[in-house]
Amino acid sequence: MRKIWLIIKREYVTRVKTKGFVIGTLIVPLIGIGFTSLVVFLVSHQSNQGLRLAIVDNAGGLAPSVIGSLDAKLPSGQPMYVVTETIDRPASASSVQDGLRARIISGALDAYLVIPKDLSQSAELHTKNPGAYAQFGPITSALNQAVVEARLNARGIHVDDVRDIVRGEDLQVIKVSKEGESVERGQTLGVAIALVILLYTSLLMYGIITMRSVLEEKTTRTMEVLISAVHPFELLAGKILGVAAVAFTQFAIWSVSLALLATYGAAMAAMTGAGAALAGIHVPGVLLAYAGVYFFGGYFLYSAMFAAVGAACSNEQDAAQLQWIAMAPLVFTMVIYSLVLNDSTSRASVILSEIPFFAPVLMPLRVSLQVPPAWQIALSIGLLFLSIVAVIYCSAKIYRVGILMYGKRPTLPELVRWLRYS
Amino acid sequence: MDAIALENVTKSYDSVIAVSGVNLRVRQGAVLGLLGPNGAGKTTTIRMVMNILVPDEGTILVLGQPVSGKTRDSVGYLPEERGLYPRMKVRSLIVFFAALHGLSEAEADRRAREWLERFELSEWSEKKMVDLSKGMQQKVQFITSVLHRPPIVILDEPFSGLDPVNAATVKDIMLEMRDQGSTIILSTHRMEQVEKMCDSICLISHGRSVLDGDLRAIKQSYGKNTVHVEFTGPDSFLTHPAIAAVNRFATGVEAKLKPGADPQEILKAAVQSGAQITRFELLEPSLNEIFIEKTSHA
Repeated sequence: MRKIWLIIKREYVTRVKTKGFVIGTLIVPLIGIGFTSLVVFLVSHQSNQGLRLAIVDNAGGLAPSVIGSLDAKLPSGQPMYVVTETIDRPASASSVQDGLRARIISGALDAYLVIPKDLSQSAELHTKNPGAYAQFGPITSALNQAVVEARLNARGIHVDDVRDIVRGEDLQVIKVSKEGESVERGQTLGVAIALVILLYTSLLMYGIITMRSVLEEKTTRTMEVLISAVHPFELLAGKILGVAAVAFTQFAIWSVSLALLATYGAAMAAMTGAGAALAGIHVPGVLLAYAGVYFFGGYFLYSAMFAAVGAACSNEQDAAQLQWIAMAPLVFTMVIYSLVLNDSTSRASVILSEIPFFAPVLMPLRVSLQVPPAWQIALSIGLLFLSIVAVIYCSAKIYRVGILMYGKRPTLPELVRWLRYS
Repeated sequence: MDAIALENVTKSYDSVIAVSGVNLRVRQGAVLGLLGPNGAGKTTTIRMVMNILVPDEGTILVLGQPVSGKTRDSVGYLPEERGLYPRMKVRSLIVFFAALHGLSEAEADRRAREWLERFELSEWSEKKMVDLSKGMQQKVQFITSVLHRPPIVILDEPFSGLDPVNAATVKDIMLEMRDQGSTIILSTHRMEQVEKMCDSICLISHGRSVLDGDLRAIKQSYGKNTVHVEFTGPDSFLTHPAIAAVNRFATGVEAKLKPGADPQEILKAAVQSGAQITRFELLEPSLNEIFIEKTSHA
């Protein structure tokens, strides 16, 4: 045990003292603060200029009604749409449109709306920026209102404000959980996806750190002196635990800074009036606890495999080619996680989240969406634990043989044969 | 009790037999030269003694105990392939390895300072390994293998890469350790070092030990079968049927005699051929010759 402790200590101290650790640990929260500030800034300083719009009304008489309905405002209080001109029943539609098109290209106009003569055909919006969906919704509803109003008028039904008649009902989604009910504004999905990405990248990153660390001992030929002093299993255990301690430190620093950041961000948001967007995000403590448990479970599982890959190779190039063995299940998790995201209680989701190689990412994802039954969590933790033991056993064997092998990169059958060596 | 005892030790990798039925006893306090051509199985043998590899057959005892994680700390090991963590600082690296071998960190630190002083590395103790020259790294590696004062030290080519001054320091330390009762196993290809330092040898070839025992006794068993001749004039006498092999040097020749040959016959033939003999000496074979003979026969 003393030797394992010495290995852990060395691994931890040499890693935490590196510039890379300090920079990585500081820069990630700084980037977080930077992005949050940027988003808050952009939300509060959105473009003050409304969309400059021209209307070509081939049907005739609809434009005033459309303009009347385009009363949306920008956060700054300025109108969202500025109708620069209305062309009612032009003699030559094409020459008018040519002129408008030229003005869009020259930058004098942002878009023009063409209302067809025959209202059974679609209206057209010509714009330089067809990706700005948020701007098109109000135009569609304004146009609809105008058309409905016109049709009602044609049938002799007079209404002052069509909007009151045709307004539909919004659907507000409210999440029900043991903690109570909370209005859903997309934050569950946001937290879930953020969690998946965070778990995936951390597992991959710390796995590769472990692999490199093993490889470094091999390429620098430190290995032979080391294993003349300690058993390879002690070395492997010390290394994995040492890197785990580094991960723990890094997460602790990040959690504290993120907590500070959240407080700071909320305060900033409250000041700038963008509070609603951030206030809905609430990460329950129980989710963090599960994420922590599954991260470290997954870390032990994957880092043991990465360590074996590092031990089997003699240089970075070989390792880069062989690391798919350890990476494949992790990458596959990223391919299938949307299945769980769509329906976290489906049979596929339940089975996939029980498979130990996927559980470290998928089970916390399920917890974030809807806490699964306790037996499913218990079973997956049990299976994960058994797999960790089995994988570490196999990895230790490959490791023990591999650390003394130099030269050609082993093939998969050779790795399997190493498992049978005493 | 022997320092190290190997009995009928065999180890193979897949289909290649690296070590085959090796028997070897190293008595305590001995300086043993472990010799053999490249790929003979020396490193495999050493690794089995270090418990890095497990023999397929046979037993290995270190100080009377079967090899295990415990016996490992009684042996200091300087592997042939050198290398230490390049980004660790010199003294903390030495302390780390000494602590792995069971020393307390305070004691390890005290001894590390002593040894760094002795090798004139004190001013480098806070530098990273990667900043040191190759010779300095070599010295640090030597320190890590002996700092915990193991009763047995295995040194694989300890002098390679050292300048004559540092090589002399290492040699002095080895002799000092021997005088303090340590057992030293020296694995090297440099036969003159073995002749100077070792009292016994073990020669391994193709995975088998082909020769082992007291160095002096081995040399005597070969008898004085070599003549060293310095002469001027014709050298036709060197084709004499009693001569097995001739080795020419700048000042003369060394002629190895066939078994049972009488050196006087060579002298007679030389005089008769008209050569002017300035020196005629009977010699024991050099370890180099024994090495070549033993390994080329096998």
